[in-house]
Amino acid sequence: MTTPFVKGDYDPRSKLVLVLGLSSLAVVFDYPRILLPLALATVLCALYLRSGVLGSLVRMRRLLWVFLAMGIIQSVFTRGGQPLVELAGVALVTTTGLERGVSIILRIFIILVSAGIMTTSNPRDIIQGLYQWRIPYELAFMVAVAVRFLPLMREEAEDTLTALQLRGVRLEELPLRTRIRTYGYLLTPLIAGVLARARQMSLSVEMRGFRAYPRRTSHRTLVLDGRDYLLMIIALLLVSGAFVAHFRPGPL
Amino acid sequence: MIRALGASYRYPGEGQVVAPVDLAIHASDVTALFGPNGSGKTTLGKLLAGILKPTSGRVEILGEDTRTLSLGRIGQRLGYLFQEPDRQIFTARVDEELALAQRLRGVPEDDVLGRVEEMLDRFRLEHLRDAFPFDLSRGEKQRLALAAIMINRPPFLVLDEPTTALDVVRKAELSALLSQATEGGVGMLIISHDRSFVARHATRILELSRGEIVDDYSVR
Ligand SMILES: Nc1ncnc2c1ncn2[C@@H]1O[C@H](COP(=O)(O)OP(=O)(O)OP(=O)(O)O)[C@@H](O)[C@H]1O
Ligand SMILES: [Mg+2]
Repeated sequence: MTTPFVKGDYDPRSKLVLVLGLSSLAVVFDYPRILLPLALATVLCALYLRSGVLGSLVRMRRLLWVFLAMGIIQSVFTRGGQPLVELAGVALVTTTGLERGVSIILRIFIILVSAGIMTTSNPRDIIQGLYQWRIPYELAFMVAVAVRFLPLMREEAEDTLTALQLRGVRLEELPLRTRIRTYGYLLTPLIAGVLARARQMSLSVEMRGFRAYPRRTSHRTLVLDGRDYLLMIIALLLVSGAFVAHFRPGPL
Repeated sequence: MIRALGASYRYPGEGQVVAPVDLAIHASDVTALFGPNGSGKTTLGKLLAGILKPTSGRVEILGEDTRTLSLGRIGQRLGYLFQEPDRQIFTARVDEELALAQRLRGVPEDDVLGRVEEMLDRFRLEHLRDAFPFDLSRGEKQRLALAAIMINRPPFLVLDEPTTALDVVRKAELSALLSQATEGGVGMLIISHDRSFVARHATRILELSRGEIVDDYSVR
């Protein structure tokens, strides 16, 4: 993929606007008619910003199973609409159920891929950019930390899954319900890990004089240029487009 | 027990971490894997335990190619103690942690409870029975993780740096536990750079340097 301009990367702020736009849309809307085009737009943005879409999915592959399971469960347990698959007169999957299942998968997909876009900026630039927008430094710092820890959390979840199976738990042979409950166990070490790291980090950061001065000075200044504004306009169009499509039902 | 046939490993995008190796590890031995930081001990250990699949060559556990073994089936053939204890704790209570894998493996509840008591006693964890595992000290976490593995009674153990966080007393206790297991016929691969600890248990020593086994000898 070639870049149209020689200048370095996009400003992290314009990426953040785009990512926030995409992921909030994925949270707000819950039906495929909007989520599907949104997913497509997310993929295009990620490709354009050279965030490896496939890469982030491949790295998530072991967890994709969990998401798929969530989708299937939603499809099977949501009633309503016309039955699609019937077994002995009982509707197993209905149109509404399928729609819910597909939506869940699309939402997670959009959030993962768009979050991947943020990891193409370096955390320092994210903090700097947000600070220039007068966002309190502590808050900016937290955003940057979250972005930084995203890949680490993925790695941790995978290690944990490995460790659990290595206790002789044959995940592939457990009944579906037990298997899904088992995935819940991954959350405990994940959350504990995040909390421990946050504690450790706030300590080390304070010891290094974080917040020692009310204002920060920096050698680096980030400048938004035309391309950045263009990116933000695209984000704005996506958001308003989704709302227009939502309030005007009918063929797109 | 474990056989490596020209097995090598490289992490995606990295150089070779483990050079092609031919090796047979026997369950009758306590084999120690020795070497400086970054020499590839953990990687070789994971490769031999089937957690990592070889980039070239192959590894067999009890005659089965690790490429065809799922992690769950590997876990029934051997127990693996990770270097990092935090990532191998799953529940909010010590006793639940011990019972978890047993329950998921479908062991009858009465047996599970009995084994949990046995492990709490053997690993001196009774007083921590209802503690939150993540608040334990590093040494205690490691003891818990080891107990949660041993409760499944694996015939073979791979231990990655089991002594790092332990003080002298705890180390002696771990030594006693491991000796007890060896007497019960459990074979082991211990990854360590603690010479005195290794000397106490090992019957065979492998020395690793920059991903290559540079020495392999029996002791006793
Ligand atoms: N997940 C990974 N991805 C890429 N490279 C890795 C990964 N894990 C380890 N390595 C590299 O492989 C080499 C060997 O690492 P390994 O952890 O096997 O060494 P070790 O002997 O266990 O070290 P230590 O004594 O610190 O535990 C190191 O150079 C390390 O940087
Ligand atoms: Mg290691």
